[in-house]
Parts: sequence; C-alpha cells; structure tokens
Amino acid sequence: MTSATDPAVDPAVDAQADVEPGGRRDGFSWRGLLLQPVLVLVALGAFAVWRATADLTDAEARPLAWSALLGSIVDHLELVAVSAVVVLVIGIPLGVLLTRGPFRRATPLVLGIANTGQAAPAIGLFVLLATWLGFGFRSAVVALVLYSVLPVLRNTMVGLQGVDARLVEAGRGMGMSALAVLLRVELPLAVPVMLSGVRTALVLLVGTATLATFIDGGGLGLLITTGINLNLDALLYSGALLVALLALAVDWVGRVVETVARPKGL
Amino acid sequence: MSETTVQDQRTVSGVAIRLEGVTKRYPGQQKPAVDAVDLEIAAGETVMFVGPSGCGKTTLLKMLNRLIEPSGGKIFLGDEDVTGQDPDRLRRRIGYVIQAGGLFPHMTVGTNIGIVPGMLGWDKKKIAERTDELLDLVGLDPEVYRDRYPKELSGGQQQRVGVARALAADPPVLLMDEPFGAVDPITRQRLQDELLRIQEELGKTIVFVTHDFDEAVKLGDKIVVFDVGARVVQYDTPEAILAEPAEDYVADFVGAGATLKQLTLTRVADTELHTPITAQVGEDSAAVVARATEAGEQYVVVTDGRGRPVSWPSVAELSRTTSVPGTRDDRLPVVGLRSTLNDALDTMLAASQGGVVVTGRRDSVAGVLVVEQVMAAIQATRGETRG
Amino acid sequence: MWQYLVDRRELIAFQAYQHVSLVVQCVALATVLAVGLAVLAYRSPRITGLANGISAIGLTIPSFALLGLLLAPFGFGITPAVVAVVFYAALPVLRNAVVGLAGVDQSLVESARGIGMSRWATLRRVELPLAWPVILAGVRVSTQMVMGIAAVAAYVLGPGLGSLIFSGLSRLGGANALNATLVGTIAMVLLALVLDVVLVLVGRLTTSKGIRV
Repeated sequence: MTSATDPAVDPAVDAQADVEPGGRRDGFSWRGLLLQPVLVLVALGAFAVWRATADLTDAEARPLAWSALLGSIVDHLELVAVSAVVVLVIGIPLGVLLTRGPFRRATPLVLGIANTGQAAPAIGLFVLLATWLGFGFRSAVVALVLYSVLPVLRNTMVGLQGVDARLVEAGRGMGMSALAVLLRVELPLAVPVMLSGVRTALVLLVGTATLATFIDGGGLGLLITTGINLNLDALLYSGALLVALLALAVDWVGRVVETVARPKGL
Repeated sequence: MSETTVQDQRTVSGVAIRLEGVTKRYPGQQKPAVDAVDLEIAAGETVMFVGPSGCGKTTLLKMLNRLIEPSGGKIFLGDEDVTGQDPDRLRRRIGYVIQAGGLFPHMTVGTNIGIVPGMLGWDKKKIAERTDELLDLVGLDPEVYRDRYPKELSGGQQQRVGVARALAADPPVLLMDEPFGAVDPITRQRLQDELLRIQEELGKTIVFVTHDFDEAVKLGDKIVVFDVGARVVQYDTPEAILAEPAEDYVADFVGAGATLKQLTLTRVADTELHTPITAQVGEDSAAVVARATEAGEQYVVVTDGRGRPVSWPSVAELSRTTSVPGTRDDRLPVVGLRSTLNDALDTMLAASQGGVVVTGRRDSVAGVLVVEQVMAAIQATRGETRG
Repeated sequence: MWQYLVDRRELIAFQAYQHVSLVVQCVALATVLAVGLAVLAYRSPRITGLANGISAIGLTIPSFALLGLLLAPFGFGITPAVVAVVFYAALPVLRNAVVGLAGVDQSLVESARGIGMSRWATLRRVELPLAWPVILAGVRVSTQMVMGIAAVAAYVLGPGLGSLIFSGLSRLGGANALNATLVGTIAMVLLALVLDVVLVLVGRLTTSKGIRV
C-alpha cells in the first residue's frame, strides 16, 4: 500500500507505528532534530572539499561546475515545488471534502483506489504519462502529483477523523457553524497529522523527481543517469549524494515546521 | 423542605421549555427512538432525565438544541417556536455541557470560555471581563487558570470550565449530558454542590441527563423517568417519585423504599446546623482559644479572608501556636448547603472524620454537621417507615 | 496488448517470477535482520530511539540515489539490487518490530519470568508472538514498497519486471513500447496485491487466535 519507487517515510508506516502513539516522536526528539542538519552540513562540506580538490575530466567538470550544480538543484526543487503546490491544492480540500457528511461513504472507496494505485511503480507512471502527454516538465509534474498526493489526502482524512467526535459536537452544540467547527476546531487539531503527511509527500517528491530525467523532466536525476550511461562515476555519485542530502534537508525542515506548528495544549 | 418557598426566593433567569409531540425516527428502524413526547419544563427549574440506556433520553436532550433534528413535533422556548429556527443561532442561546467538558484542547481556558461571546460579536474587553467573572463563579481563580490549557487541569476543573463555557453568553437554558459521569465520586459530589450553588444564584432552566438516580434526586427540582422510546413514565418531584412510584418499573429503577434512599432526599440545609467558633488566618491564637473555651467548643473552623474554610483544628492544637496558621488542609471534609445527607456521610467516611464543614454562598462557612445528626435522621426515617 | 501478452507470455512470466522472487527473498532476509536488530534494541529506550531515527532517515534517502551509490562497491547487476531492496525492506520492519516489542505489556513479561521462563523463552514464547501482528504489518508495508524499488533496480541491470518498463521507455513511440510499459506496470500492481493478500493470510495463520482482531 506504500510507495513504489521511493521509500520515503510513508504515513502507512506511521499508521503502523500508531499502535503506540508518540513512539515515533519520542524516538525522534529534539536531539534527532539537531543531528539531522549537522549530518547534512558535514556531508555537504565533504562534498565541497572533494569537488574543489578532485581531479576531474572535462566531461565531468562541466556538469559539476558550481553554477551547473546549482542549476540542477534549482531545476529539481522547481519540480518538487510546483508538484507540491498542486498536491496541496488538490489533496487538502479533497481530504476535507471526503470527511464531510454525505461524502463520508465514499471514503473507503477512494482510499482503496488510491492505495492500490500507490502500488504502481513510479517509473511506470512516468513512462505512461510521457506516452500520453509527451516528454518534459509537464508530464513529470503530473506523474509526481499523482504519485505523492496520497499521503496528503490520507493524512488530512486521518487527521480529521482522529478529532474527538465529542469536540465537534461540543462545537456545534455551542452554536458554531459547520464551517467554524472545521476551521477553529477540526483543522487545528488535525494539523500535526496533516503536516506529517505533507512532509512525507515532500520527501517522496524529492526522491521521485530523480526519475523525471527519464522523460526529460530535468533535475538531479540527470546527473545520475548521465553518470551511469557514460560511465562517469563522479557525476553519478554527486547526483546521488546531492539528492539524498536534499531529501534529508527537506525532511528536516518538515520536522521543524511540525514541531513549531504543533498547536499548544496538545 | 417546601419546594415553593425555595422557588420563590430564587432569581429566575431561565425560560420555560415546552415540547409538543416531539418525535425522532431513524431510517430503517421500526420503532421511533423518541415517540411523540409532550413535556413542559418551568422556567428556572432543574429537570433531570433518567432512564435505562437506549431509552432515548439523550436523543431527546439533543433535539432541544437540534444537534439531532426532530422528525416531528414542536419545541418552544418561552412562547417562541424554535423548531424552524437556524440551529446555530438557537444553540448560542442554549448552554451545552458534556462529559469532561468537551473543552477544545488547543485553546486556553479563557479562549474556550470566550468562544460563544466572540461569535455573538462582543468586544474583547467585555469578553475578558466575562471570562474572569465566570471563572470566579465556578470557583477557579482567573489569574491562575485563564491562560492554562485544558490538559493542565484536573478532570473536575475541566468540568467546571465546561460549565463556565456553557454559561458564557448567559443563556436562559442549560443542557447537560451526563456531565459528571467521568469523575471520581468525591469530585462529582463537589461539582454537584457547585452546580446547585450556581443554579441558586442564576436560576437557569436546566435539563440534565444522568444514569445516576441519586444524582437526579440531589440536583433535580423535578425528575422525568423514561422508558424505551422516551416514553414519560413519571414526571414529578424527587420526593413524590420516591414516595409513590407510578409503576413497578419506576420502583425497580429508583430502588424506592430503601431507608437509606431517604438520605438523598434530605439536604444538609434542612438539618439544624451547629454554628462553630471560627477564626481568621493570622488571628491571635490565645484569643481564639479563649473564645472557644468560653463557648465550650473542642474545635475551631479556620477561614481565609473571604470566609472560606481552610482547616479545622482542635483547641489543643491551636493553643500550641501563637497566631492562627494558614496551612490549607487538603483533606478537610466540606459539603455545600444543598448537599444531601448521603453526601455528608460519604464525605465524613472518606475523610475519617466525625463531621463536615458546611459551606454556603461563595464557599463561606455556614456551619458544621456531625455524624450524630445524620444518624438521628436515619433513625427518624426508619421510624416513619415502620409507622 | 492481448497479442503482446500472448506472444511474450514466457518472457513476462519469467520476469514476473524473477521480480517476485527478488522481493520475497529480500523481504524475508530483511525481516530476519530487522527483527534481530529490534530484539537487541528494544530494551533500551536510547537504542530504540536510535533505531527509529535510522529507520526514519534511511527511508528518506531516494532509492535511485542509493542504487547509484551502490554501483561503486558492487558494480552493475543483481548485487546492488539485492542490497538496496534489503536495506529499504528492513527499515519499516525494524521500526514496527521495535514498536511492537516495546508495546508488549510489561506485566505479561514479568509474569512469564515469574513462572520461571528464561529470558530467551520469554522472548520466543511471549514477546515475539504478541508483537507479531505489528511486525507483520511492517512486512506488508515493506513488500509493497520494495516492489517499486525493484523496478528501478532494473536500470542497474537488476532482474524483474522493471526491464519491461525501461525497454518501453527506450523504444518510446515504437510499436510495443506502450504495451511493454503497461504490462510491466500493471503486472507489478497485481503482484503487489497478490503478495499483500498472501501476507494477510500468513498473518491469520500465524497470529494467535487470542489476539486476533
């Protein structure tokens, strides 16, 4: 039921861990929050030192020039950002809608379809979309959105469903409109779970966006494929390392936001 | 106790509620959950809904504020037919208290209380004043509790805040759905006393669902006993229901006839309270001891600046001090004037003491009740039952 | 597409077999490793935290990146594929095993020790059986996840259905490109579902009736 190509932290895993709520958070405390960026910075520093001192062939040096690298990273982040915006715009309202009265019945069906769809390998999705919409950025974004909307959708729904029904009733009972209860009670209480879904989606996007290179979508994946195809190890490792660091950095930012945005009093 | 005189003394800020043929049918169920209920509740009265689980009492309560939409019938608040009114507007005029208070965990106590006034468009200053006033009313110090989050409160304190929140916009009607079901017996009894005290001050119309018949006897001016389908089996004062159950069903349900049940009918206020010697914190001990000795008293009730009991030391203990100490005795047995003798006895047993301090308005000392008086009351009712 | 399937049924069946075989063997190996690690870790809160942290951070690393990094020590072929798949498969199982073992009611462990069970017997007869449903849930997550990772592994010449997708990609616009991609993708979804059903059945058969929900 989880992701196919990218193994990013998935709410499915979180859901299993929910057997003991808080277990994850305990294991990943502030110490963990500090460790992660240090790890990323050290690795980045090591990379910079290697890049500055390494003896590279011309074919390797050109894509590994700082400006070229920066361009690849920006391309990659562009894929991630555009897809993420679309994912949020689709996933959150849809998740809210599917937890409202009449649509609630459709919830298991939608989740079932979405879960089955998640078993599809991302690379297959990319190629199929390319045959349909052609190569390029647009197809890549569509594939990425299809692929990463589920965690946001699911966590929005799980988060909202997890709000104590008595609190909703208390809100309605004191005369708050359905919209007011949603905005002032349900969504704030669902924020931790929803944000965890957003972080999952972002990490998933960073990883999956490496595959965009197969359909000319650009990004850091290009370094990896070029490295493999042309047997240029320096490119391959640079690409792989930078993607991994980027994913870890995005994950860390997500965790920080989760910790900060967690409503007080919970 | 004469019901009417108490009624007359009370301020009444509630309105009457009238139900006409109120019905709830759920699709796919043969029998209606609530079947054509007619009921009139007088303004300022506390009416208790009791009955077995699944009898429809909670459904009926939730139809009053239309959390559950009636399938038929009419509901009047005062003379106004509210059956067709916008539910959200209606609910802002009806306070609603549920188990554990239903406080929003992500909002502070103050924010929780200020929600309804906020929706009604009060300005910030007025809301802040009202919040403090209500916290004070339910016996929580605003300075201490205003900015706390619900999880930082005990169960009983959360429930108090729940009541304060329901009262925020001064609604004429208060609906309470088993509010004290989740707290321990001693806390429950305190909360009940508190509610009685608040009700005496405010005179709201309260509809209260409970499964605890003793609670119904203690809190209710009237009790409605329901059977399946919310059929009203008996609607009367607690005394009348205990004395003359309308059907065997009621007799079984309330366990009427048992002598000790009568203890729940007798209020502390109805017994002759002993007036103790009181002393303020910080007073000269010697003077207090002299006063007590002169009156032939063994014990002295120590009160704080607002007349609230703090401790209950013996004269011997006091004579060992120079000034009256302010140490608060957490195990001090206290009941309210509207508590029942049953509560008083429970409290004495829990504290292993032979008496309780009785408090009245704003928790100030009204007297003391000793175990002998409770015994005398039991003897008296046993005599009555035999005769 | 039907014609395509019929024409190449043997090749497709072989690749499907390879794919499932890779996934099943790797998940089995990963489960053994992860449960073993969890047994070592779960008694200490600090190591438990560390295990959870490793699991979370490990799952963050993109699989395509890891496959690339593994090419250096292992070269092209089946080895980097196996290493990557085992790595990812182990992470959810590790986390769930730690959570599951730590979640076993401590009073049960005490009563087991109290009636004279050794530490090892307690683990084998009380703790692991009670944690098993949670561990198995992790195995299910792992299996679904690595189906897709195995697909990307085809790019580094690993075995399995991924090669159908990549051959479709390389001949995009050609006669059977779409067919190859579709067959590869759909076959993986179907196999994932089948494996999930199998794991649910395994769960029913291996979970004590007393704790089944």
